Amino acid sequence: MAVFIDLNISHTTDKKRLQDIIETAAHLGFSTVAINHVVDLQQKKQEIGKPKSVSELFDQFPIVQGKSRPIKVLNRLTVVVSEASHFRPTNEFKSYDIIAVFPKTEKLFHAACMSFDVDIICIAVTEKQPFHFKRPPVNGAIDRGVFFEISYVPAIKDSTMRRYTISNALSLMETCKGKNVIVSSGAEKPLELRGPYDIANLGLLFGLSEGDAKAAVSTNCRAVLLHGETRKTALGIIHTMKKIQPTMEGQEEDNAPAVKRAKMEAV
Amino acid sequence: MVRFKSRYLLCEVCVSDQSSLQLLDDRTVFSAVKAAVCHAHGDYGAALCSLSFAVKYLNAHTGVVFLRCRKSHYRLIWSALPFITSLESRGQRVPCFFNCLHIGGTIRTCQKFLIRYNTQQLHRMLRHCHTEAERLEVRRAVMSCSLKSRGKEEEEEEEEFEEEEEEWGEVV
Repeated sequence: MAVFIDLNISHTTDKKRLQDIIETAAHLGFSTVAINHVVDLQQKKQEIGKPKSVSELFDQFPIVQGKSRPIKVLNRLTVVVSEASHFRPTNEFKSYDIIAVFPKTEKLFHAACMSFDVDIICIAVTEKQPFHFKRPPVNGAIDRGVFFEISYVPAIKDSTMRRYTISNALSLMETCKGKNVIVSSGAEKPLELRGPYDIANLGLLFGLSEGDAKAAVSTNCRAVLLHGETRKTALGIIHTMKKIQPTMEGQEEDNAPAVKRAKMEAV
Repeated sequence: MVRFKSRYLLCEVCVSDQSSLQLLDDRTVFSAVKAAVCHAHGDYGAALCSLSFAVKYLNAHTGVVFLRCRKSHYRLIWSALPFITSLESRGQRVPCFFNCLHIGGTIRTCQKFLIRYNTQQLHRMLRHCHTEAERLEVRRAVMSCSLKSRGKEEEEEEEEFEEEEEEWGEVV
């Protein structure tokens, strides 16, 4: 059995609901989920904050269906860009495991594919795609190991959204031929999640072949996680970790290793 | 003699409130699935759906549903299942979703899978038990559905099956 991953669970401040969603995901057999924090920089006062530590959510994480391991929860940041100046990697980015970008214009889509340091590019599913996918940027993204994301919850909720989702997905598949695509939920309620096999089958409607559809919920997502991890390391080769030294009683632990790591990386 | 080959979809109806599962019946599930297929695939889907499509089994305690359809187009019907968001029964609307557990060619393979799956569920439940009595009850249920005692006749299996699930219902 493959390892199934859902990389898009909407963040809510309602802790109970978030717990419910994660429990349902564990019941359905997802071994890793990512909580998605969306930031739209066009609106004023939107700031990228640090995500809450996931260990605060549960005392004991629910066990994944069919496995004996508890579910893994990650943090993900989605930046909605409508101007090139919006995407500026800052130190806050480092505290997220995965970074996604939602380009609004063709120019930005091109930039996101070719140069932005991101893991995922989101595809619009709630409106008609305002531009065509061109071969060069899509191929560039595939070469760089950046993935395209389609979320299926709007399709479940509403009939017109379903049309947009399917048409946008099909137009993407024409250019990328089923490569480097992930399908994720974007669920806000526990009842909006679907089982991994159902999603793989749903991929048929999106124009994916059987193998590609299954990869879209399992191996491709794993590739995204690894791609996210390489951002924290130097070219994916060297990874620095703070060595835990036996501390004396009363001596304060330095609790900002992330920042330190960032500095070391810059050198 | 050539037989018509079918596919059996073993699905689980997931609801937020376990007690609302009692409202389910064959007709509700049948009409909900049919409506979803009609909606997603139009008249063509509706035509395929009327061909040998049936709800073979439904367990109101665990929310397990068996659907039968022709082998040639089971993917089409399966792809409509995720779009079901609620079931309408006895004037009440139950928000739910279908989770496909297994696809089988015969009822027998599906049943084998289901027994294994339910045992797994009981194991999961064991962790959440608080009192010793509950724990004993679950352990007994796990033992009673071991593969050894099953066998010869389907009737027998069915009975045991029911028993196990009743216990499950109790624990829940």
